[in-house]
Amino acid sequence: MKARSIVWRPLIVAALLALAVAGCGEVNESGGGGGGGGAEKKSGPLRLAVVPKAVGFDFWNQVKTGAECAASKQKDVEVQWDGVTAETDVTGQVNLLQNFITQGVDGLVYAATDAKVLNDVSKQAIQQDIPVVNIDSGTDPQPKEVPVFATDNVASAEKVAGLLSDKLGKAGGEIAFIPFQRGTATNEQRAEGFKTGLKEHPELKLVAEQASQSDYDKALQVTEDILTANPNLKGIFAANEPSVLGAAEAVRQAKKSGKITIVGWDASPDEVKGVRDGVIDALIVQNPFRMGFDGVNAITKQLREGTKPSSGDTGVTIVTKSNLDDPEVKAVLKPSCDNPPS
Amino acid sequence: MTTATRPAALSRENLSDAISQLAAGGALIVVFIYLSIASDRFLTSDNLFNVGQQTAVTAIIAIGMTLVIITAGIDLSVGAVAALSGVVGVKLMIELGLPPNLAIVVGVLVGALAGLVNGLLVTITQLAPFIATLGMMSVARGLTLIVTGAAAVFGAPADFRLLGQGEIGPVPIPVIALIAVAILGHLVLTRTRLGRYSYAIGSNPEAARLSGIPVKRYLTAVYVIAGALAGFGGMMAASRVNSGQPNFGIGLELDVIAAAVIGGASLFGGRGTVVGTLIGGFLIALIRNGSVLLNVNTFYQSVIIGVIIWLAVIFDQYRRRRLGGAGE
Repeated sequence: MKARSIVWRPLIVAALLALAVAGCGEVNESGGGGGGGGAEKKSGPLRLAVVPKAVGFDFWNQVKTGAECAASKQKDVEVQWDGVTAETDVTGQVNLLQNFITQGVDGLVYAATDAKVLNDVSKQAIQQDIPVVNIDSGTDPQPKEVPVFATDNVASAEKVAGLLSDKLGKAGGEIAFIPFQRGTATNEQRAEGFKTGLKEHPELKLVAEQASQSDYDKALQVTEDILTANPNLKGIFAANEPSVLGAAEAVRQAKKSGKITIVGWDASPDEVKGVRDGVIDALIVQNPFRMGFDGVNAITKQLREGTKPSSGDTGVTIVTKSNLDDPEVKAVLKPSCDNPPS
Repeated sequence: MTTATRPAALSRENLSDAISQLAAGGALIVVFIYLSIASDRFLTSDNLFNVGQQTAVTAIIAIGMTLVIITAGIDLSVGAVAALSGVVGVKLMIELGLPPNLAIVVGVLVGALAGLVNGLLVTITQLAPFIATLGMMSVARGLTLIVTGAAAVFGAPADFRLLGQGEIGPVPIPVIALIAVAILGHLVLTRTRLGRYSYAIGSNPEAARLSGIPVKRYLTAVYVIAGALAGFGGMMAASRVNSGQPNFGIGLELDVIAAAVIGGASLFGGRGTVVGTLIGGFLIALIRNGSVLLNVNTFYQSVIIGVIIWLAVIFDQYRRRRLGGAGE
């Protein structure tokens, strides 16, 4: 069933695109009735496009679960999930979103791959009376009509230095930082927070910083090389899922598990396994389910009731080996519509 | 011109290949010496084996690419095909309990099948290799996403780690596999009919056809080999991270082509060697490795590699003219 829907979805998109091209004028129906009052649509089916930064990572699949859960609890709301295959493919995401706008979806929920570039797309949608909600990553500037449901990345990353320091004690030592994608808002915020936190811990000395390009294999390679260059390395902060997996794998393969403290971000099953195995010491776990869930709910409310939604912090949980099996942590780690995280 | 009178032509080609390898090899040695001085951690067996391991996937696929480029073709699909093989192989191990060795074979076959389709598109429907393999790049990436639902496939058996992470003595298995593939590739290019015909087809397909070479059959075989090596590389990359990554290999084809071109392969066909490609592959890998060891900002790596590609091709063209317009 699942495989079928995956096969069909692109075909449906293609068919809709063909219709859009063929019938040019008839596309923007939902915008037509809006006028000054925005794109309010009190009843009837709503088609919402939910676009992650990229498909293919556990994090975004949880966003999808949350978005679909919110839709299933509303009446006549359908979520259309589509995304590019690499978080670096900014142009691809712009094109995809513009296609959705041209098709005349009722609302757009998306995570911006690039804060500045995507600002134009948000504006374009608003001009056509299609409401927009950002999840995970907003745009710069953030239009006042567009709320953001995201993690407070700066504040959360500030805690990382403290976690490393707790583990390494007063002696501290050399540490490395594996960011993922320079220039994306999320990455820069985590880097900023992390470095602010480091100022309060002079015993931690940042000796290496190499980006993973959000690629597992690349993260593995740069971490291998960092370990080679810095034999006394004591700690690593890796700032997203592929970076953490690559860093942990490199430490494991160098047979330095437990000797190097890894603090990571996100919580894919393999990262959680890393915590259980003791390769990873702590994970800053966001609430992607909540992002998808709150994003879809907010935009639905805006469309049905005309309320202006306000932005929300979706929060983080710090997961370690000791709290791994707590019920609240479990709900965050394995969110489902039946057991949603708070 | 160069095909019918093979022995005479080959000696000149050999000479020109040697010069080209000398230049790339010289660059490799310069980078090597520089890194040995600049970083006290560079010249350690651990680091050098790491570099070998990191180069293996790219270099193995680049050897197949060299064969294709020699026939004046190109294969843009290798990155996507490697990803497809990786996820299919890993999925079969998890869902059907296929033993790792068999899964690796299946991964290679998936790659070979993609290569066969490429080859048939090039020979039967006469699509330009660029177009045929561009299409395959998209098809294979799409199939990868369909097979995985766009999510990484975790949970491969622990034995599967052997191919990408195992060691025989101190030497990582990927390095051993690379050496084996390189020796085989070198022998195929220099000692077999397939190799000789590939140079002939790339130098002048019409002359090759007129001199009785079954061009279509050999050209198809070349794409099958490139596909199979992409499949093998994909399985090795999957084994490195013990999982099937649907986003693996995006942009890998460019690294692979760069390795071949830096090593003296000509995109106009008729020229290229396994040794040259290995040099090109290692040069790229050393620059990446060195940048991390010296904590150089990653952005500079791309610039350096791009400049080296330019220099390699400019040098190549200059040399061709000096040798009296060999080739086209």
